[in-house]
Amino acid sequence: MLSTLQTPRSSLSRFTLPSTITTLASNSQSTLTTTQSPTTSPPQSQILSIRHSLLTRNLSAVDLARSYLTRLRLTEPHLRSFLHIPDDQTIISQANDLDRRIAAGKDVGPLAGVLVAVKDNICTADMPSTGGSRILQNYRPPFDATAVKKLKELGGIVVGKTNMDEFGMGSTTEASAFQVTANPWDVSRVPGGSSGGSAAAVSARQCVVSLGSDTGGSVRQPASFCGVVGLKPTYGRVSRFGLMAYASSLDAIGCFGSSVADTGILLHAIAGHDRFDATSSKQEVPNFLSHFDSASSLESKPLKGLRVGLIRETIEDGVDAGVVSAIRAAASHFEELGCSVNEVSLPSFSLGLPAYYVLALSESSSNLSRYDGIRYGNQVHADELDSLYGDSRAKGLGSEVKMRILMGTYALSAGYYDAYYKRAQQVRTIIRNSFKEALDQYDILISPAAPSVAYKIGEKKNDPLAMYAGDIMTVNVNLAGLPALVLPCGFVDSEPAGLPVGLQMIGAAFDEGELLRVGHIFEQTLENCRFVPPLVADSVE
Amino acid sequence: MSSKMLLRGTPLTLTLWNPKIQHKLLQLRRLSSKTNCSSLQPPNVSHLAKTAHISLTPTEVEEFGPKIQQVIGWFGQLQGVDLQSIEPSIRADTENNLRDNTPEIFDHRDAIIASVPSYEEPYIKVPKVLNVD
Repeated sequence: MLSTLQTPRSSLSRFTLPSTITTLASNSQSTLTTTQSPTTSPPQSQILSIRHSLLTRNLSAVDLARSYLTRLRLTEPHLRSFLHIPDDQTIISQANDLDRRIAAGKDVGPLAGVLVAVKDNICTADMPSTGGSRILQNYRPPFDATAVKKLKELGGIVVGKTNMDEFGMGSTTEASAFQVTANPWDVSRVPGGSSGGSAAAVSARQCVVSLGSDTGGSVRQPASFCGVVGLKPTYGRVSRFGLMAYASSLDAIGCFGSSVADTGILLHAIAGHDRFDATSSKQEVPNFLSHFDSASSLESKPLKGLRVGLIRETIEDGVDAGVVSAIRAAASHFEELGCSVNEVSLPSFSLGLPAYYVLALSESSSNLSRYDGIRYGNQVHADELDSLYGDSRAKGLGSEVKMRILMGTYALSAGYYDAYYKRAQQVRTIIRNSFKEALDQYDILISPAAPSVAYKIGEKKNDPLAMYAGDIMTVNVNLAGLPALVLPCGFVDSEPAGLPVGLQMIGAAFDEGELLRVGHIFEQTLENCRFVPPLVADSVE
Repeated sequence: MSSKMLLRGTPLTLTLWNPKIQHKLLQLRRLSSKTNCSSLQPPNVSHLAKTAHISLTPTEVEEFGPKIQQVIGWFGQLQGVDLQSIEPSIRADTENNLRDNTPEIFDHRDAIIASVPSYEEPYIKVPKVLNVD
């Protein structure tokens, strides 16, 4: 059983901001101003800029919250990123408390005043948590997920719960039981999934940062589609306690931000060992931003000596020409920064996709058996128990979820385990080893995060294999348990404003610090690229 | 009904795409139709639904069948790979971090009870269990 007598971590003392970072913050503009910014300026950390404005009393947390809430309410009818938004008053009163703390000279956490959206499969005690499913409609968990608890302890304000494909099963949010989220770059297109709501919310600046989950790419692919930064940490870096399990050996809670720095700050806030998650790592959490350099202090070849491997299998047939071209441009950018970039081949790369689906579907068939209408969730009345289970699940679960459970049930049936699940685990070993070898030769591996840019809503809805094929870039990273950062690196031409392309950077286990450091430099030196969707361009810097 | 069935999950959806993705998909579909697992019975959707405790409608059984068959067939690629002497991985490397086996009291029992659809203190109420052999 759980105890509420846990001593809060002394997280404030652990998170000291080095002086280079405070310089970064004071150079950045306030989030509220609508001054003309050069369209080519790289993104500044909103979290640091907010902190600076709050501590220098240039801005109140209440005004900041109001500004975000106004934009959220204006854009939400077009985007449908959120499944639940609390009353404004709930958020304003938390902001008010923060303002009083600041006025009284008390310490405030590194996420002070930061509005965070949380994917709806991450439990929040004071808001419904549905997992995007009717079977959990109106369900209120009796506890906060550890990641939520941590971000609140550090001053973050949860602004709402975001839309997602049901139980994480999908790549577009079209499998949500409730609504389809639109891509802020083109509302006729998908935001990606399953963390589509969280990605869209950050992209449209409805919130500052957000939490998502990534089992086979569900943070990275929407980050690419929505033109935001998305990070999937190493398996075990962030506690899964309170994350509704899809595939327990693959799931990870991930972070979205409009800049690499913000994504790193959020990761730092939620990372660390948790005794309630036996798979969470005891490895120390470094201060990810301590090695960040401010752009103005970068030497001419700041990444000199870094060995970058471009995964050959990810730029071959089947990948949109526009995406390949953006990735090759990113590779050139790395070379300009002093890196050596070479193509590297990962053996058995393409086997990862069926292996991933066997493992994910099998594990999910077991994990989703808890949704039976007995202890929580929506129950369908029946005269005998078997029918109660069968009917509650039939009514509460969507088609995609049902199919995946059935396929997982098949793969795990007596006599089939060796043919499917065990073989998939063996492929997993091969893939882990091939990444290890590649990461001995290279410091970072790069690839697209998806074979295309955001496609139209409805385009892939009825073809499961077509949908699954889109995960080819991302699943192997989950199989190997490695960290990966996606950041926007270019555009593909499309009305009205082009569609963003994300670059995926993969690192060695627990090497998020290096990914973030390199990603930050890449981002800060990328010219002529501003990743703010036209929908909100007028109201942000 | 049957014309609706034809449109779903058929190559018609492919025509909306770019040729390169179509090519990749055709490769995948070819793989899915030649499976080496002749000893494995094809999925029986009704039986699976019973095992998984999901009451499927006949329409769902008909609709899901071909899609499930297609994906399971696609899984068949795994049979064709030489995996001798490869150890299966349960998950990525992680430490074995178990907490102490000491019970603790959860302070929000009321919130748990509040979520139970059918509760009669102190029982979670369910209908009778029918023994069907």
